[in-house]
Amino acid sequence: MDNLMCLGYAVAGYIRYWLLNSDYKQTIGDRVEISSPLNSWRKVTEGAYLYSEGINPYLGENFHETPLGLFVFHKMISNIPQLTGFIFIVCDLITAHVLYHTAQLFMSELFSRQMREKEKYAKDAETLLLKQSDLVLPPVYVASAYLFNPYIIFSCISQTTTVFANLCLAFTFLLMIKGKRLACCSVLALATLQSLYPVILLVPASIYIAKAESRRSLRCSSFILTAVTFITALHLLLYISLKLAGGWEFLHATHGFILNVPDLQPNVGLFWYFFTEMFENFRLLFICAFQINATVLYLIPLTLRFHGEPMLLATSLTALTAIFKSYPTLGDVGFYLALLPMWKHLFKYMQQGFVVGCSFLSTSVMGPVVWHLWIYSRSANANFYFGVTLAFATAQIFLVTDILFAYIKREFSLFHGLHREVNGKTTKLVLE
Amino acid sequence: MGLLTDPGAGHGRLTQLLVTYHNKLIILLYIGGVLWFMILAHKHFNAGTYFSENALLPGLVKGEFDEDAIAKVYQSELLDEAAKYPNGVPYSWLIAKFRQLNLDTYTHNFTLTYPLGLGNKFTGKNVYAILRAPRSSSTEALVLSVPYRPPSSVNPGTAPSIAIMLAVAKFFRRQKYWAKDVIFLVTEHEQLGVQAWLEAYHKVTCGRSGVLDHGDMMGRGGAIQAAINLELHAEKIGHIDVKIEGLNGQLPNLDLVNLVHRMCSKEGVKHTFKNRESGNYRDWYREWLHSFKTLMAMVATQASGVPNGNHGLFHRFGIEAVTLEGFEKKGKGSPALYFQVGRVLEGLFRSLNNLLERFHQSYFFYLLPAADRFISIGMYMPPLGLICAGLVIKAFALWLKMQEDSTKKQPAENEDTEEDKSKLSNQDSTNNFSLVPVGVTVLAAHSVSIVMLSSPQKLNALGLKFGLSTPLALYAGYFIMTLLMSILPLFACRHIGRTVESRSIFNIVALLELATILLCTSMQNFSLALLSAVVYVPSGLLMVPTQNRILTILQKILWVFLHPLWLLIIVVLFHTTLTFPDESVLVLSEMGMRAVLKALVFAVVDSYIYANWLFPVATAILLPNWILFWIVLHNSPYQEKKEEKNED
Repeated sequence: MDNLMCLGYAVAGYIRYWLLNSDYKQTIGDRVEISSPLNSWRKVTEGAYLYSEGINPYLGENFHETPLGLFVFHKMISNIPQLTGFIFIVCDLITAHVLYHTAQLFMSELFSRQMREKEKYAKDAETLLLKQSDLVLPPVYVASAYLFNPYIIFSCISQTTTVFANLCLAFTFLLMIKGKRLACCSVLALATLQSLYPVILLVPASIYIAKAESRRSLRCSSFILTAVTFITALHLLLYISLKLAGGWEFLHATHGFILNVPDLQPNVGLFWYFFTEMFENFRLLFICAFQINATVLYLIPLTLRFHGEPMLLATSLTALTAIFKSYPTLGDVGFYLALLPMWKHLFKYMQQGFVVGCSFLSTSVMGPVVWHLWIYSRSANANFYFGVTLAFATAQIFLVTDILFAYIKREFSLFHGLHREVNGKTTKLVLE
Repeated sequence: MGLLTDPGAGHGRLTQLLVTYHNKLIILLYIGGVLWFMILAHKHFNAGTYFSENALLPGLVKGEFDEDAIAKVYQSELLDEAAKYPNGVPYSWLIAKFRQLNLDTYTHNFTLTYPLGLGNKFTGKNVYAILRAPRSSSTEALVLSVPYRPPSSVNPGTAPSIAIMLAVAKFFRRQKYWAKDVIFLVTEHEQLGVQAWLEAYHKVTCGRSGVLDHGDMMGRGGAIQAAINLELHAEKIGHIDVKIEGLNGQLPNLDLVNLVHRMCSKEGVKHTFKNRESGNYRDWYREWLHSFKTLMAMVATQASGVPNGNHGLFHRFGIEAVTLEGFEKKGKGSPALYFQVGRVLEGLFRSLNNLLERFHQSYFFYLLPAADRFISIGMYMPPLGLICAGLVIKAFALWLKMQEDSTKKQPAENEDTEEDKSKLSNQDSTNNFSLVPVGVTVLAAHSVSIVMLSSPQKLNALGLKFGLSTPLALYAGYFIMTLLMSILPLFACRHIGRTVESRSIFNIVALLELATILLCTSMQNFSLALLSAVVYVPSGLLMVPTQNRILTILQKILWVFLHPLWLLIIVVLFHTTLTFPDESVLVLSEMGMRAVLKALVFAVVDSYIYANWLFPVATAILLPNWILFWIVLHNSPYQEKKEEKNED
């Protein structure tokens, strides 16, 4: 198995290397589905150039990386320009490996919890139980889903900064499951500084860390401690950024840019179309509505329902932000897709696999086709492209709903048995 | 959320019905789709054309063109001049005439390095003159283009169109109302000249770099809004045919097409679409048949993706363009003379001059069953959707069946002894890995086709070494590659064929890929998608492994004939027979063979020069799908079952 994994990493690395040095790099890098104003490498190089010329890149409207990122990228571009592509590839491979470890830990956690709760399960639920052999493959699948997902590969070879965002997120997941409070909060703060939305992962992270606490009475204080650690780490990072940037303008250019959505270049998300159509005086109202939808709207109900399974909670929150955030790219989508094989045992409860698969396939192909018709041939228009992205978002929502419902169904069957009979009739679970 | 219900209690009644009756449903959908499309040609099911763009103000003013006398002089002068250059263009005469009219006159050189054969170089030269707009600052332009054909050309000459163009230029020069530049363009080498001129105008290269060197251009006007390409074959015009189909099946805005028809009818010039007048039948069936034939003529032209006039190359640049082809008047009746044609052109350009924005209203996606009727995208997409739905339904049924099988297996598992269990769990792990060979095979199929896509030039070079002509080298190369490809299943099946699931998954992948290909093609070139769907959907659905030997052989024969290469040969032969119905079989077969040999080279060269998508689509997209189905066909599940029984 280890040999196989090594081969996988080598092949994935080679594919990335080959594409990075081929003519396709530019074509793929220019795709709006991959590069948004927030993560495109072009903007980074521009900002780094301004920085090296002694001009504050945050005064313009063009640069949206954090000062920390600016500093690192600037050093990278000026000192080791020939190695930048290599760094991206390595980061991607590390992310895959971190996810692999996360999945391994999660599988053993899943198994130990099953052993613990076994007595409480219904008698005929034995077939649902996980066997030792079921735990081997999911980590491999997780890693390969990250290594060979075209979304991720394209995102990597376009040198989008999503690669680093994904790395931070992957480390957050790993440290979360390990229960390392300080490290987890620091990485999460880094991820938050870069793309803001990961802040909601604080909830599953604190649940995870609190669960490790043995005494119930200490759990509450554990939550508070985690939150305080996170806020301290974030403030520290902000302070470093302030020192690096020499002023607070960067906040407007990074987080302000994410929240206010001033750049309406089309992408796979849902913001651009609505806000091009919007009357200016309603803009604030709808921005609030859309941003709440992307962050806290699902946070509370999902936390209440899935607090027992913080990993699933974290994954579904990541997925929902990837769908609803202001500048989503396929790199974000690929990240949460790679996490899903951890719940391979739920797949047989999923109903929409076929529909979702078909939609992913057709929208991924249809998007560029319609884009070509709109931008180059001038025969189609924005509505065609938005239609495709809307279908893509719908497919993703179906996927998330489906996996959550599958979890609930399995849980229900575990505790109440497989045969559900009400008044002598076989019943079925319906989501309403 | 009725969709998200529980599968644990067995599938809903609807899905059960779907699994049981999906074959019948698919047949019904296919027939329904085809009939629906056919019926769209009837006037009850399509709509009359109308103007969406109010700014055009078509034909609001009285025509004033009165230079028809000078056009006749131009024509006789040009014919005298052309006789001196049997193979070339009388540049000096053309330039002199444009200069006499005080227009900015330029020439434009281009070079073609022929990508196949010995790599010969061809040069050409276009002449163009710009009438600067007095009322604005050259930000927008209109184009009137004519392909120059020397007397030795096989195509009917276009001298009358140059004559009328010069006369119109003379008339336009005197007018004060121009808000857009008018560019008069005379091109050499048919479509090549226009392509080079457009590339030079926009400073881009559309095809492969190093093939067509578009050269430089000294003078430019503004952004081109619309173009009219003129091909009049005689002074006395019987009817003007409006040609619209462009490169890769792109169409001009319907408003422009309507405008041309409106102007022609205003000036009393007989105008047609596909050289077919709108019939006036009392019998609904004959009326429908007439429109249907017109519709299918358009579908056939559009599907080829090859522009049927020089207008077709403008579309890619976002320029709406049509060709007006005038045919000589034969028989009785009054012909349209220079006077009328000039007024038509005047009306067209004055309307286009009124435009405030680019063409953006009206339709870009439509089919025309007659000159004045149209079928919009909303009307023609559902039939194709129905036809393609069969593929998705079949895939879905396979998917459900696969899931049912696996749930049936599980209860059996419980009754087995411990030993069996461990065996089965081992099998489970192999089951899980079955996805990998499927993925690898799909990837292999696609890489093979990429190799085929990039091989023409290498094949050509190889052919030259062995003394083969280019077409022969290409055919030989592709034939050998096809043979090699047909062996692919032998390797693939050994890996895929291990489990029933992976076989089903493979079939599902093939079906879904075909559906996606067809739907995406339909956005770009509906006609191509429709014709391919009509052929490939039922055949793809039939490609299910069976036990019956004879049936298997029949399936394989059918699928071999649907190989893109074979399909090309069949289509070309069919086309030759249709174009020359009177020839004897022997002559026909000889002509057909020559056409077949040329067709592949044309497809390749067109993709290199004009970036025509037909060849890349056929090799890089259709071909891998063909291979997938070919592998599916060789994946007979029953052979292995028999083996298992023997072992028992």
